[in-house]
Amino acid sequence: MSIPLLSLIVFVPVAGAAVLMFMRSDDAVRWTALGFGIVDLALCVVMLAGFDTTTHEMQFTESRPWVPALGITYALGVDGISALFLFLTALLSLISVLASWVAIDRKVKEFMVSLLVMQALMLGVFCALDLFLFYVFWEAMLIPMYLIIGVWGGEGRVYAAFKFFLYTLAGSILFLIGVIVLYFQGGETFDILALTGQDLPFGVQAWLFFAFLVAFAVKVPMVPVHTWLPDAHVQAPTAGSIILAGVLLKMGAYGFLRFSLPMLPEASLYYSTLMLALSALAIVYGGLLALAQDDLKKLVAYSSISHMGFVTLGIFALNLRGLEGSILQMFNHGITTGALFLFVGLIYERTHTRSIANYGGLMKAAPVYTAFLALFTLSSMALPGTNAFVGELLVLSGGFAANLAAGAAAVVGALLSAAYLLGMYGKVALGPPSVSAKYEIHDVNGREIAAILPLAIFVLWVGLYPRPFLGIIDASVRNLLVQVHGEGSGQ
Amino acid sequence: MTAAALLQWALASVPEIIVVTGACVLLIVGELVRKGRDDLLLWASVAIVLLAAVATLMLAGEMQPAYAGMFISDRFAVFFKLVFYLATILTFFLSRKYAEIEGIGRSEYYVLLLFALVGMMIMASAIDLLSIYVGLELMVLCTYVLTGFLRKERRSNEAALKYVILGAVSTAIFLYGVSLIYGLTGTTQLNRMAEAVSGGPLDPALLLAVVFIVAGLVFKIGAVPFHMWVPDVYEGAPTTITAFMSVAPKAAGFAVILRVFLNPLVEASNAWIIVAAIAVATMALGSFVALVQDNFKRLLAYSSIAHAGFAIFGVVAGGQDGIASVMLYLLIYTFMNLGIFGAVIMMRNGDFSGEVIEDYAGFAKFHPGLALLMLLYLFSLAGIPPTAGFFAKFYVLVALVERGFVALAVIAVLLSVVSAYFYIRIVMVIYMREPERAFEPALTPLVSATLAFTAAGTIGIGLFPAWFLRLAQQSAFGG
Repeated sequence: MSIPLLSLIVFVPVAGAAVLMFMRSDDAVRWTALGFGIVDLALCVVMLAGFDTTTHEMQFTESRPWVPALGITYALGVDGISALFLFLTALLSLISVLASWVAIDRKVKEFMVSLLVMQALMLGVFCALDLFLFYVFWEAMLIPMYLIIGVWGGEGRVYAAFKFFLYTLAGSILFLIGVIVLYFQGGETFDILALTGQDLPFGVQAWLFFAFLVAFAVKVPMVPVHTWLPDAHVQAPTAGSIILAGVLLKMGAYGFLRFSLPMLPEASLYYSTLMLALSALAIVYGGLLALAQDDLKKLVAYSSISHMGFVTLGIFALNLRGLEGSILQMFNHGITTGALFLFVGLIYERTHTRSIANYGGLMKAAPVYTAFLALFTLSSMALPGTNAFVGELLVLSGGFAANLAAGAAAVVGALLSAAYLLGMYGKVALGPPSVSAKYEIHDVNGREIAAILPLAIFVLWVGLYPRPFLGIIDASVRNLLVQVHGEGSGQ
Repeated sequence: MTAAALLQWALASVPEIIVVTGACVLLIVGELVRKGRDDLLLWASVAIVLLAAVATLMLAGEMQPAYAGMFISDRFAVFFKLVFYLATILTFFLSRKYAEIEGIGRSEYYVLLLFALVGMMIMASAIDLLSIYVGLELMVLCTYVLTGFLRKERRSNEAALKYVILGAVSTAIFLYGVSLIYGLTGTTQLNRMAEAVSGGPLDPALLLAVVFIVAGLVFKIGAVPFHMWVPDVYEGAPTTITAFMSVAPKAAGFAVILRVFLNPLVEASNAWIIVAAIAVATMALGSFVALVQDNFKRLLAYSSIAHAGFAIFGVVAGGQDGIASVMLYLLIYTFMNLGIFGAVIMMRNGDFSGEVIEDYAGFAKFHPGLALLMLLYLFSLAGIPPTAGFFAKFYVLVALVERGFVALAVIAVLLSVVSAYFYIRIVMVIYMREPERAFEPALTPLVSATLAFTAAGTIGIGLFPAWFLRLAQQSAFGG
């Protein structure tokens, strides 16, 4: 038997958490968590290195019976889409450890344990090939995330943690009913691959589509079920925000890609206009809200809603460019927004204020910081040469092909994002120094650069040479289109 | 009647005989044991239960009807008896230190628990309305007394009184239903009742009888609209007895309900609509009222009402999967609920009651390990994977959807979001509040062992449900 690589990837962080339980010194805890994070990322790289980009078949598959009486199996596997997200998850989790190095100064052990458990569950979500297993990972994430926000968050953390918990629970529990209905409709199996490509009656598909939609829309989040996100982001510690924005928000979109589109193709086609409209609404509404924010974290949070609107727009454009663009954009959003939250966290650690009005002229006090910030701001605006440009362009061209009005709304959103991001950067970095007089702001140190640098590299790498990234997902996306539209459409 | 038949009847009920005899011996021996030697009573009681468990397992292989069709020892009964043994032994373990603190460590305490156990065992094996009645009364009489065991506390006396009066009324209603059935069909045996009415149109008086029986049974599991006694009794009773009552007698009630409700007579009378309404109302009331509770025991009382509601959904589903889902639910509930009650019992020390939720503020700071255990039980009660509580709910939902009750399944999950709120609120108090005082839990080795065992069950069944699911499915009747 070969090495169960995916199980290793999922359970290395669990092992790390178990080891941490027995440690006493805070520093030892930090280094150990970092070590396990590095090992896990390395395993993901090994997986990517062995990944065959020419096929859409699931790779590195494992399967063994779990609850045979109900047809539940422990089945893992990755295709191009999930492979990319596994890597993103491992990378951002590692960066979260670095981002909490000094920011978390109490109950360090418990925090790192939560973070590692969270990482394992997220990785599990992306490679589960059994609906029950998927749901277990998906739902169990609530526990560590609730603790991360509620124990280590800011002033209003308890309220925010509650809101996050109940919103996502209420959403996903309907998904559970959907899963069970699907189980009986699809011949009493939870096997995701067996359930795709079944020709369910349209009525059933439509019901399931909406049951799934509630769960995924809360996670994405789409307007109007987005209100938990700003609260959660503002209160969460930096690492929590990075994980939330970088990975958690992707799960909703991943759900659309993995379940709604391939399992309920007719309903997805039928309701795609509705979904495009909701996406356009999210893009413009999120952008407008971001424009009005003075709190740095809220600004980035609302910009996330807008950017995730692009992602769902691309998905429900239901064409090759839209889908590839939206998947790439998810990866980009993880990198860029993760980085922006990291930057907000870095400056918050130094000044303990997030109000944009309190900043100004950081360029002088922290030149390296502002230089990197410029890169990520430009990336978030989708300037050519950065990662988001490629993704956004693909989404826009896919979106215009699908629906002119939705495409036009997305362009408005892109303009808005330029407005609020440039405004933010101008007020924070340029102009006369204000806070630097009151606070002693020192520039980023080596550890912080170690966290920033990989993200910066990916911004430029995807921006200048996106081919390897598109190459990973290409075969899977084409196959997805075949599943939605039928033969001959994947070309 | 031949001697052989008599022997065979006795054989079928060996576990019951063991516990009755043991309890009687203990009653006498208990008077001879000197004060301060409570350990002896405890271990003797545990030994009796273990002996009965061995006997039960040895009988598990064959189906043994006995006592002229009043009693049966089938796999269904065996499953429930194992749940009772588990709950009783864990209650014994939790009681030792608590009884010392409260000053209630007398032999009657253990003997009454044992007699209650016999009552429950008879209920699980009863296939006749009269033997059901005998088991039921034996069980509730013991729990009446145990509820009032804190003689010096007004709360406890009041609870016992309330329980006795309301319980007697419900028993009377039940008996009235039984007499109606006997008058109309000429039998009290569950199987023959169905035969007596099969074919012809249903007599409206029979429906009335069914409603009375339903009402009497539903009282015992604390379902709406017969739930009023639950919060007061749970709050007033000694916490160990509350823990016991929330698990074992409730499971016994469900054992009877499954036997009676899934009887063709009840099925013919469309009683499932009533049952579905009861399930929805029970879960809704339990969940919503629990939201505003400040007392931990009252909150757990309402939570147990909500859980009963969820389990009744499994009864509504019916069929083999429905029955098995209720059984699995009760088994899992035994682990997680005794776990959380164990934590509350452990907090009772010195002048600290451990009953006010706010008192747990910052508990995680002083006892991270115990706080983690409570977190586990609470998330399990809320039904979050990978804990066992999730699988319990999941299987009930599977049974519901299988029977086409998708709308009921949606109602059930939406209400469980409400109930998640108050469990998570306790987690919040434990983890996210600043502590106001130091904690000195009464953590004896026995309590620790109980907590560890229930935790192992709560996480173990969640991760590896296959074996337990198969056990429940094979023990369910009607397959």
